[in-house]
Amino acid sequence: MSNYFEVKNVDFKVADKTKVKNVSFSIENEGDIICLLGPSGIGKTTILRTIAGLEKIDEGSISLKNQILSSKKINIEPENRNVSLSFQDNSLFPHYTVEKNILLGAEKNKDSKNKKIKFNEVIDLLNIPTILNKYPHQISAGEAQRASLARSLITQPDLLLLDEPLSNVDQSFKEEIQVNLKKILNSLKITTIVVTHDSYEAFYLGSKCGIILNKELKQYDDPYKVYHFPNSVEVVNFLNRGILIPAEVTSPKSLENKDLGTITGNFIKPFPIGSKVKLLIQPEDLQHDDKSNLKFEVVDRKFRGTNFIYTLKTSTNHLIPVLVHSHHIHQHDIDEKFGIKRPIYIDHIVCF
Amino acid sequence: MKINFWFLSSIIISIIVVLPILVVFSSFFQDTSNYFEILKETFFFEYVFNSLTLLIGVLFFTFILGVGAAYIVSFYEFPGSNFFKWSLILSFAVPPYIYAYSLFAFFENYGTAYTILKNLFGEGNYNQLIPKFDGMFGLILSISFSLYAYVYILARSSFLYQSQNLIELGKNLGFSKIKSFYSVILPAARPAIVAGLSLVAMETLAEFGAVDFFSVNTLTTGIYNAWIAFDDLAFANRISFFLLLFIFILFLTENLSRKKAKYHLETRGGFKIKQKIKLNGVKSFLAFAFCFILFFLSFLFPLSQMLYWTIKFPDNLFDLKLTELLLNTLYLVFLSSFVLLFFSLISNYGNRVSKNKILNILSTLSISGYAIPGVILAIAFITLIAWFDENMFQVLGLLSIKKIFIGSVLGLVIVYCIRFYSLAFNGIKSGYEKMNIAVDESAYLLGYSKFKTFSYIHLPYLRNSLLFVLILISLEIVRELPITLILRPFNFETFATTAYISASEDLLEAAAVPSLFLIVIASFFILLTSKYILRENNE
Repeated sequence: MSNYFEVKNVDFKVADKTKVKNVSFSIENEGDIICLLGPSGIGKTTILRTIAGLEKIDEGSISLKNQILSSKKINIEPENRNVSLSFQDNSLFPHYTVEKNILLGAEKNKDSKNKKIKFNEVIDLLNIPTILNKYPHQISAGEAQRASLARSLITQPDLLLLDEPLSNVDQSFKEEIQVNLKKILNSLKITTIVVTHDSYEAFYLGSKCGIILNKELKQYDDPYKVYHFPNSVEVVNFLNRGILIPAEVTSPKSLENKDLGTITGNFIKPFPIGSKVKLLIQPEDLQHDDKSNLKFEVVDRKFRGTNFIYTLKTSTNHLIPVLVHSHHIHQHDIDEKFGIKRPIYIDHIVCF
Repeated sequence: MKINFWFLSSIIISIIVVLPILVVFSSFFQDTSNYFEILKETFFFEYVFNSLTLLIGVLFFTFILGVGAAYIVSFYEFPGSNFFKWSLILSFAVPPYIYAYSLFAFFENYGTAYTILKNLFGEGNYNQLIPKFDGMFGLILSISFSLYAYVYILARSSFLYQSQNLIELGKNLGFSKIKSFYSVILPAARPAIVAGLSLVAMETLAEFGAVDFFSVNTLTTGIYNAWIAFDDLAFANRISFFLLLFIFILFLTENLSRKKAKYHLETRGGFKIKQKIKLNGVKSFLAFAFCFILFFLSFLFPLSQMLYWTIKFPDNLFDLKLTELLLNTLYLVFLSSFVLLFFSLISNYGNRVSKNKILNILSTLSISGYAIPGVILAIAFITLIAWFDENMFQVLGLLSIKKIFIGSVLGLVIVYCIRFYSLAFNGIKSGYEKMNIAVDESAYLLGYSKFKTFSYIHLPYLRNSLLFVLILISLEIVRELPITLILRPFNFETFATTAYISASEDLLEAAAVPSLFLIVIASFFILLTSKYILRENNE
């Protein structure tokens, strides 16, 4: 069965400058949401603009519902693709009210027989009823972003592209909107590509996540695998949720580290015994134990609401993160000793 | 590169506008008559010296008057400050040549000043006591009072848009008002002031009517004389080339300064209306006196002089074919405005959608028409038409095209369009610049074609800019003299040419009526635009 949407071997360029090269990924089913994650300026927006038809390609192809939208020879104009892009910056028509802006979006596909999202529904979803009569210059950046999102949603496109859709939205609204957005996209089966630099947003919204680094799509997989089974050191560094420490493989199920001692678990990729590797330690891999005799010095403690992340300094000067539930009775201060439970077992061992 | 309707139209429009400008430059290498040799030996350095003296004098006065007035009305509140805010731009309604007529007529022997003194104190030998403002000094004053508003408008808008934080920072550092002015306010407004002064400089070098009236030999009158007296187009163009080199330096300065001037215009949320300082006592009187004297000298004085003559010599009012002059002027205004707006809209949109480098360069060149004096443009246009006529139409055995373009409304409108193209193009461009390109892209993604985006999204958005440009062009055309003088059809007069002809025949009283009407019509246009020129918020 062919994919609903597919990007095949495309170099994404702006003004002849390649931003991301040789990219291939696909969305299997209508209604799927995928996220593209990467640092600022890496070319994520260029990918969306190209898919929308605002930039052209010289190599490969982009197809939607078995129709080629862009290739070296074919380029369907943006107005003739049923693709909607919600820009990161304010792109509302400045001389129309927010309401009129959104209603202009509703005019597109008004004859479509698909299940329709109602105007009021989208207004409530994005919490913008109070700004409908205002002009774009009279509202905040976050409100403009939500109004723009409303206009894109109401067009009910075959493919919705969201460029950092909630980057200007207040934290207090953000989670609520994320939940509602996901719900409505799923109920209307609107296939969506979200570009973001917020990994939590990407992991929540996307059924798949693509990591773009150093001009390449490094990994494209479901969020759980991206997080737990990163396929390169670059992805580990970008996600910044763990550290790499030196270790030696001692058996098909164990390895040895100078500070932590023996670590057992399941390798996600086999290494020959005796190999010197870099072992990924994520905050949730090690467990705290006050009674343990394996103790390290606390150099930092971050309170994250539901948990603490302690940073421990080993005798070889590596800084290891350890997650502890925030209700844990003994809170350790900086410079105190912090115990690690032994024996150490990591369910999936990631080494490079 | 995709060639579409918008791209092609923009290229064609830009080429039409650029052609006469290129003629001026290319003619530098053509042969000239003996006049060049004669002039080199005699008056050439006088032309250059006079042009420079005039330029320095005008820049000095316009800086003092423009920046001074802008500072006072932007930062202080005093009786009449709201009135002066807009009334000080009315001086635009008085072209330098009309100011020159007033100045000369008031102070001449047995002129208006003499009459006033005689009526007040009886007969006497007052002519010796009355100072004479003719020659270079009269010319400098005439141009300065007419053009200082360029500096005033740009400096004022810069003062208004200066970040409140910047001024508060000065206070926080313990600066006195004078130190704040020199260390914070003036440097921040420098690009705007330089832009204003560059415009003044370009207009001064292009000025023809007043220079001719005071018989000061400058490069501009040199060009006109080379053409009129010696019938030497090539040489006229050669002097133009020297003048243009100088003007282009000013043009570049102005453009660069304008770009820099943008840096302190803050976007949404960054603009705070400054609390003006309320003046009392002597300070309040001095501020009022400065603004009132400036308003009086720049606007009321020439207006009253023209009104006085019109009332004193009522026959001139009845002799003048008022309806005909009004219709001729309006005819030129409407025709030129329509063509200019149409061309500029297409060209701007073409630039916006095609993002083509060649088009961009052509557009930049085409807006330089404003920097080229009307005399030069008119002569370059005649040169171009003559070349086409001789080398193409006559060779092919076709009828001469000279009559179609030279001495016709068509030719006049074309040259107006070249001269004022930058006003229309930049006016619309500045409207476009406020519109993020993502707005266009959003429209495409909503299924709008380029044409539908243009007509449904852009045109309604640009309506204020279009209205502003329309009024600005009308104002310029009503005041315009040299192009109309050189290219107008036989027996086709405007208020400006009628005033000039009367004045050049030493019939200043007769020049008063058309001048008065010109001032009134121009004032009307200025009052219509003042809302845009002087807006104090970024709505």
